[in-house]
Amino acid sequence: MDETVAEYIRRTVLKIPRDEIKTVLQKWGFLSETQLQTVNFHQIKDNISQEVVQLCEENSAGIKQAAVLDIIYNHIYQNKKIWSVYQMRKTGEELEYFDLTDFKKKFKRRLQSALKNVTITFREYEDNAIWIRVAWGTPHRQPNQYKPSYVVYHSQTPYAFISASVLKSNLPLLCQALTVASNYHDIREMELRSHSLNSLKDIVFNRYSQNFQTYCPKPLQEKAVEPESEDLRISNENRREKERIQRLNQEAFGDGPQPILQFAQYKLETMFKSNPKMDVLDKKQPFRCLVKFSSPHLLESLKSLAPAGMADAPLSPLLTCIPQKARNYFRIREKKGVFPESFVSP
Amino acid sequence: ESGDPQRTALLLRKAWTLYSVTPLYRFCRGRLRDYARLLSAFIAAERQKGLAVEVGVELDIKVALSILPELQGSEQDQPAVLVQLSSRSRASSKNSEDKILWSGCFCCVYGDDLSENMPEDFTCLPLFLANGAESYMSVVGNWFQKTFDCIFRRLAISPFNLSWMVAMWVGCKVDKAASAMELVFSVPRLPQPLDISYAIHPEDARALWDTIQKTPGEITQEEVDVFMDCLYSHFHRHFKIRLSATKLVKISTAIASAHCDGIVKMLHSQYLSGVLMLLTELAISQIQ
Repeated sequence: MDETVAEYIRRTVLKIPRDEIKTVLQKWGFLSETQLQTVNFHQIKDNISQEVVQLCEENSAGIKQAAVLDIIYNHIYQNKKIWSVYQMRKTGEELEYFDLTDFKKKFKRRLQSALKNVTITFREYEDNAIWIRVAWGTPHRQPNQYKPSYVVYHSQTPYAFISASVLKSNLPLLCQALTVASNYHDIREMELRSHSLNSLKDIVFNRYSQNFQTYCPKPLQEKAVEPESEDLRISNENRREKERIQRLNQEAFGDGPQPILQFAQYKLETMFKSNPKMDVLDKKQPFRCLVKFSSPHLLESLKSLAPAGMADAPLSPLLTCIPQKARNYFRIREKKGVFPESFVSP
Repeated sequence: ESGDPQRTALLLRKAWTLYSVTPLYRFCRGRLRDYARLLSAFIAAERQKGLAVEVGVELDIKVALSILPELQGSEQDQPAVLVQLSSRSRASSKNSEDKILWSGCFCCVYGDDLSENMPEDFTCLPLFLANGAESYMSVVGNWFQKTFDCIFRRLAISPFNLSWMVAMWVGCKVDKAASAMELVFSVPRLPQPLDISYAIHPEDARALWDTIQKTPGEITQEEVDVFMDCLYSHFHRHFKIRLSATKLVKISTAIASAHCDGIVKMLHSQYLSGVLMLLTELAISQIQ
């Protein structure tokens, strides 16, 4: 077995949490159950990976099998990467029958004709998801297995999710191969990025529920009996305000769980407007700002701002529109015309 | 040992952790070599005890103390004292250069408030900047505390002071292209924490400040408040979020950046003194 392959397998196994190694190897299926029985999965990872490499040696593992192991690892730990969303367009409206073999052939051919040295691996998953791993080389160098690009393409949709590879120069070629292979004619990058692949899918496939169009929530009922407080007026007002905020939040964000995004970025090119009483800046040029919101779960975080008293309800549409518009990168300019307070986002 | 102007450049572009230091008792500027030797022995002893150990490499740690006379404000200020820990790996050849492991700098820029009525035996160097591994800071700090009967305390920077810094520095002219003015806010007590970075084009930030500041060279509390309110209301107009209800944790300008945990980075030699003056003031407030 090639020593570079051995090293690659060793390092891939080391990335896996110790308690999961056996499961991942079973999913891989390259080593038999008998072989796996011989490995002591309770020793330190260094030793486990050495034993695994030994077994792979016995089975003469090559780069193809190693690449499959890597795809499996990245499918399980997909949230370690940042995924960007791409949307493809085709001229006609015909729904063509998707031929997986044809897709793979065309994809490989497009890449291999441009770059002699590439390692291309496919793996199909449920939900019509095709995972593609591409390791990039040059006409004179073997592919770099440690910096591959990953594409997740859902064949029944025009969407593909690409993990931002360090080697950005290969991105156009990757997009081209994808478009050609799937019989589309155009591809564009959406302004939408997240660690959570499933949440991105929820957003573009409209699988989350933001606004209940058909379902009418029961009107909030005034409680007939007032529990503790003597001063009924004060409790009532507070409660009313809290209910108002909750209702507006619900309208804006919906009832269901929010898709998981980690950031939103706004490039502001709007005018600075001050309180007329303050004798400050009144330029005719935009006040240029860059605002970035970050959180482990951005939308939940934003949703909690108004109830916490840190924001007005309703929250700005610039924030609540994120799932609907399927984007978390925005450029906001002043809208010219009647209502200078409104903004456009190109 | 006196330094040269080049040496103040070593303060630039490094992240310094700030401490306030109470006056040092019987610290003598003439005995720096002695102190270096004593500190060196102390460090060696601590390392033998198993503290302040750098894993792996065998290191000889060299201690150097020197004066930085350029770093003082008024006549009454004590000149700054620089402490450097450097290493030369025992394995490497004699010609290899020493690597600086850790630096610390005692300074006082316009610290008259503190030094004014100080008895003779005491040396006022209220501001301490540290760069390098925490373990070294711990050892060096302990030695100074024991030897000169002083107390080191981490210097936090409040949102109030951060606002002052941003107002003071946004108006400073820099010759080369300035970096954006950035404010970072944190909202930790939500179910999911939120961080907000609000960066403004340096020209636009400066233009706003220029219309607010009435007298060049002077800044009033009211002007700082108006400046921050303007920025907050511009933000609110777009996002309906009240930044004033969140915690300002970090500010960045072309001159310097500062974090509420008491970490600063100074970026411009021309304004070094001004920044240190402000930090000296904060250190003195913490001591008094």
